[in-house]
Amino acid sequence: MANVESLRYFLPELLLTALVLAVFLVDLGLKRKKVPIATLMVVGLLVSLYAVLKTPGAEGVTLFLGMVSLDPFSVFFKVIFIVTAVLVTLFSMESDEVEEKNFGEYMGFIAATTLGAVLLASSNHMLMAFLTLELVSVPCYVLAGYISRSRRSSEASLKYVIFGAASSGLMVYGISLLFGVTGSLSFEGIRDALSAGNPGEIIVLISLIFILAGLGYKIAVFPFHMWCPDVYEGAPTPITAFLSVGPKAAGFAVLVRMLHVAFSSSDGAAAYLTDISSVDWPFLVAIISAATMTIGNLLAINQSNIKRLLAYSSIAHAGYLLMGVVALSQLGTQALLFYFVVYLLMNLGAFLVVLNFRSQTRSEQIGDYTGLAWRSPIGAFVAVSMAIFLFSLTGIPPFGGFIGKVYLFASIIQGERFIWLAIVAIANSVISLYYYARIIKVMFLRGIDAEDLGGFVSSPTTITLLTILAVGTAVSGIFWGPIARWVSHSASLFFG
Amino acid sequence: MGEIVFIALAVGTTVGAGVVAFSKNIVYSAFALLLSFFCVAGLYVFLAADFVAATQVIVYIGGILVLILFGVMLTEKIEKVNISNQALKPFRAWILLIVSGGILIAAIVKTNWITKAPLPPTPTTGELGNAFLTRYLLPFEIASVLLLVALIGAIIAGRKEVRRK
Repeated sequence: MANVESLRYFLPELLLTALVLAVFLVDLGLKRKKVPIATLMVVGLLVSLYAVLKTPGAEGVTLFLGMVSLDPFSVFFKVIFIVTAVLVTLFSMESDEVEEKNFGEYMGFIAATTLGAVLLASSNHMLMAFLTLELVSVPCYVLAGYISRSRRSSEASLKYVIFGAASSGLMVYGISLLFGVTGSLSFEGIRDALSAGNPGEIIVLISLIFILAGLGYKIAVFPFHMWCPDVYEGAPTPITAFLSVGPKAAGFAVLVRMLHVAFSSSDGAAAYLTDISSVDWPFLVAIISAATMTIGNLLAINQSNIKRLLAYSSIAHAGYLLMGVVALSQLGTQALLFYFVVYLLMNLGAFLVVLNFRSQTRSEQIGDYTGLAWRSPIGAFVAVSMAIFLFSLTGIPPFGGFIGKVYLFASIIQGERFIWLAIVAIANSVISLYYYARIIKVMFLRGIDAEDLGGFVSSPTTITLLTILAVGTAVSGIFWGPIARWVSHSASLFFG
Repeated sequence: MGEIVFIALAVGTTVGAGVVAFSKNIVYSAFALLLSFFCVAGLYVFLAADFVAATQVIVYIGGILVLILFGVMLTEKIEKVNISNQALKPFRAWILLIVSGGILIAAIVKTNWITKAPLPPTPTTGELGNAFLTRYLLPFEIASVLLLVALIGAIIAGRKEVRRK
């Protein structure tokens, strides 16, 4: 669709851009910033969410001469990003890690990352994908180092930048090689060139590896996961929560679209795609998936800092999520999207507990969670919600994480080719039970009779948010039908 | 004649980049970057991309490199930085370099690239401007948002705490 015509379908992104500018500008004229800027953020994000849901043409059109596409798949991810940003804005209000005088730019960067993520999920062209990947990354580099005068935070930011720059460089190089053999940068153009003839297998394989390096860094999969624990530990807690959901989902969105549109084609059977690149990338991704979940889970076992533990857990979850990519079927994509819905609820919930605990006790050590359930009624409530989130992350019924994992395993087993990957994933779920259960044990079974644990309080906002997230995690494990219908509609466009 | 110039430019680019990576003295590295950038500009001329070549000279050499040199020269004791990461293993790095470089070169030599007959050198600036405002309008606009965010981010990351009385 031509540029001017496209504007009509581009309203959510325009609103987000306006929000970024508005936040930066309003910040200039305010002394007391937190409440007005957070209000502006929430209102702006909700308005763009409304625009996302109301934008016509959601049955699949390409905008701006094929640069981005608007379809149920991108709409799904837009909703995920905006909801995440709203929750993280509220989390940031509850956190004292970011000073009030720097709050405006902080919120502006969150809005900019969300804009980048929204565009990344709809990118249909390598140039757009790279540019918006940078738009997602650059504000995150700054956000990771946002705690002023904190060595750990600056180190986190620096590591993030250096790894990020290196993997972006690899990705651009990969894209340039791919352009050299296919002569196109748009995903459909690449697909047509790949299916038309033999453009040199080795170069396609090398460029695919380089592109996977760029995206793999963003979603923190092996062997590009090294930055993740340090960054998650050093960044302000609301940002850690944000990084573990928003940018990761964005990376997955573009990965799925790129692999499903540019490197696969439908061979008649409606629910399946076949790999057309002659380099067998599903096998490559299956190896990465198995390695990622194993490394993440094994390294999580020995962690004593809860943010580091959740960092390794999020690496492991990236491994599980990749199973949905490997399956290369409608069920696989559906499982991936479903898992993102519950992952958003349970992971943000777990980080909200970490944030609440940190603001009360200044500690991120798992050992300090001793007897949390017995400190006060609110402590008990927080401990119970944390238990729900952790059981769901493990994949224990009746929580949402269980249904999500069932879908992922089912998609792999239905594909028949990578049964071993499902076995690795089940073994990994068992390992993960060990370290998640350790936190639950410390909170409930230790310190029952101790006297000097101190009280524990939470703000009404935290309690409300925790209730919503915990109920969401539990309900999505019992009445998953509506979510399943939504994701199957969103996943259908690549198939048939 | 053209071939000799091309080879000279390619060698210059690679040697410059090599010195940047391997020199122990960061000032030498900064000046070697000049050679590398300049030869890249020459390569753009070979590709009949006159505007990009001029921009390369103006932006990279005239702007970015001068800024880097300022940064290097204004930083105290920049030559005696203690490398805190003890995990640097030059031997492994060489193996990685030789293996990955070998694979890449072999693959690049073997591949049938999509090639075009060389165009007669015509001015490209007008076409570029057209492309920016038609075919590539959205990336062009998004790049400006990215630059804005990067600018503000750089200010935030580099700011100094100011104490008001």
